[in-house]
Amino acid sequence: MVRPSIFLAAAAVAVPLAMTAAGAAQAADTSYPLSLDNCGREISFDSPPQRVVSLGQAGTEMLYALGLGDKVVGTAVWFNPVLDRFEKINQQVERLADNDPSFESVVAKRPELVTSQFEWHVGPQGIVGTREQFAELGISTYILPTDCVGKDNTTGGDGTRNVQVTTDLIHRTVGELARIFDVPEAGDEVIADLKTRERDARQQVERIELDQDVSAVVWFSSAEMDIDPYVAGQNGAPAYMLKQLGIRNVIDSNEEWPTVGWETIAQKNPTIIVIARMDRRRFPADDYKRKLEFLKTDPVTRHMDAVQQDRIVIMDAHAMQPTLRLVNGLETLADAVESYELSK
Amino acid sequence: MAVARGAGYGTLALLLLVVTFALGASIGETPIPVTVVGQTVANHLFGASYELDPIEAGIVWNYRLSRAVVAACCGAALALSGVILQALLRNALADPYILGISAGASTGAVSVAILGIGGGAISLSFGAFVGSLAAFAFVALLARGAGRGKGQIILAGVAGSQLFNALTSFIVTKSASAEQVRGIMFWLLGNLSGVRWPDGALALPAAAIGTCVCLWYARALDAFTFGTDSAASLGIAVWRVQALLIAAAALMTAVMVSIVGSIGFVGLVIPHAARLVVGVRHSRLIPASALVGAVFLVVSDVVSRTVISGQVLPIGVVTALVGAPAFAFILVQGQRKS
Repeated sequence: MVRPSIFLAAAAVAVPLAMTAAGAAQAADTSYPLSLDNCGREISFDSPPQRVVSLGQAGTEMLYALGLGDKVVGTAVWFNPVLDRFEKINQQVERLADNDPSFESVVAKRPELVTSQFEWHVGPQGIVGTREQFAELGISTYILPTDCVGKDNTTGGDGTRNVQVTTDLIHRTVGELARIFDVPEAGDEVIADLKTRERDARQQVERIELDQDVSAVVWFSSAEMDIDPYVAGQNGAPAYMLKQLGIRNVIDSNEEWPTVGWETIAQKNPTIIVIARMDRRRFPADDYKRKLEFLKTDPVTRHMDAVQQDRIVIMDAHAMQPTLRLVNGLETLADAVESYELSK
Repeated sequence: MAVARGAGYGTLALLLLVVTFALGASIGETPIPVTVVGQTVANHLFGASYELDPIEAGIVWNYRLSRAVVAACCGAALALSGVILQALLRNALADPYILGISAGASTGAVSVAILGIGGGAISLSFGAFVGSLAAFAFVALLARGAGRGKGQIILAGVAGSQLFNALTSFIVTKSASAEQVRGIMFWLLGNLSGVRWPDGALALPAAAIGTCVCLWYARALDAFTFGTDSAASLGIAVWRVQALLIAAAALMTAVMVSIVGSIGFVGLVIPHAARLVVGVRHSRLIPASALVGAVFLVVSDVVSRTVISGQVLPIGVVTALVGAPAFAFILVQGQRKS
């Protein structure tokens, strides 16, 4: 109870200072009213929101990492179990739905703000609701920039990225949430930690001096076991990881998760295959063990170099999205690459 | 003379099918030379020992040839189902899809994929199979309740299709993510990318048995085109033969839909195309429809995976692009005749 009043007092003092030192005030408290451009729409806040419904695990974990768990009154859209360190706080928050909640169930929590990881949940054609629908009820909406900056959600199954997603975008998202809720120090701390870990993973692989043509494919899941799989395109989070470590993605598509035939993948014969581990069980291929079994038994894929040399990396699905866990994925990949002896 | 001409057509037809298979196995995102296709086949079927790249040979044998064989079976089976239904219902627009079989298959598939019925133990294909049989049973019962008129089963089929399409939409709307919707769409419009030899082991006997049943009752089908009374006057056990033929059509369609998803218009268009070539006698129409259907679907599959670079178009889109205008043409022609 003490903290908000201290923050408010601090904000009152900081407002004039921040206004004069705009730009340099990275760790300074937020000055309200705060206006932000968010996915093509201007949003503004007169004070830090006290009640937020968070749709999407990425945003939810960011809010928890910023120490804002007590402001979260509802969550939905889950892919993996929550990170261990947030388990306790997450238990106290109502889960409105594992997947898509209804508009009314969100509104019923009386949030001041709804954050959404994906534009297709809250956006122009949002299946939970459009931003206008929420605005009519006086509820602000914040879509994670990771789903709209450099991304066209009107094309391709899961949208098309025109610009490579980077960890800068994740840092920006964390920073904006920290500003909205007026917790600048927490934001700086989270971002600094992410940067350090990313640099370490990169350096770990730089030390190995990888062969120039190390390539990879990242397999998320498949609608049927034998059918064309969903694999990572050129500009998504997995592509960023691969680029950071000097590995070529054999898939050319700009779509976020294009379906590409096994014959195409087998012919490209990547050095490494990365497969997603998830708790979701909608498709048989959601189970990473089934993916492994397929790769090792299919008459074509079993001849691929990566399968024969056992260079298959198992990575959490959530690390394959632009989230806090992208760095975990980067670390997993760096460790695996180090163990494969792929030096020049 | 007629026998010799028939044999000539038969040889030509088989040759056409072999050429189509060779093209189907050779053409793809990365073209593989026809010689490699030949060598791969020789290795597998005749014990030859050409040294081939295992991945390339695997793609030819396990992916593309199995796919071509299943596509051919599927095309033949769907076309024959169309032949049966058009003869029995005496309706030029009859097609397995009129019976709502594909709509039922879709409902079954989405029930497994989205609702998670079976808890992962039931495959999408099995769900589709059960759904298609359920829809057919529903339509058959409804038609029976509605009376004997030849238009009743078509109306019952329309009702069944609408009902099952609504159920599918309900399930998809209720709880599907973008990724799932995309997976399901691919399924609803037909997709051969997951096809392997075990699917061939199911499709081949289904198509073969269906063809045999049709050929066995070729004369009966001729008779049915003049109405059930004429058929009865020729000594045909009308209800028994009708039931048997409809069951054959339903089973063939259900098996094929369960393997590759919904591929529309084949059953409607191919029998008409075949009639243009060999006439209306079923002893010729049946093998001709089976063959034209087989070739059509193998070619459609090749088109579906090569027309857009780096992306597979659902095969149902290709067949519908050919089939819908043909449907309109038949509709208009029928109107003029009447």
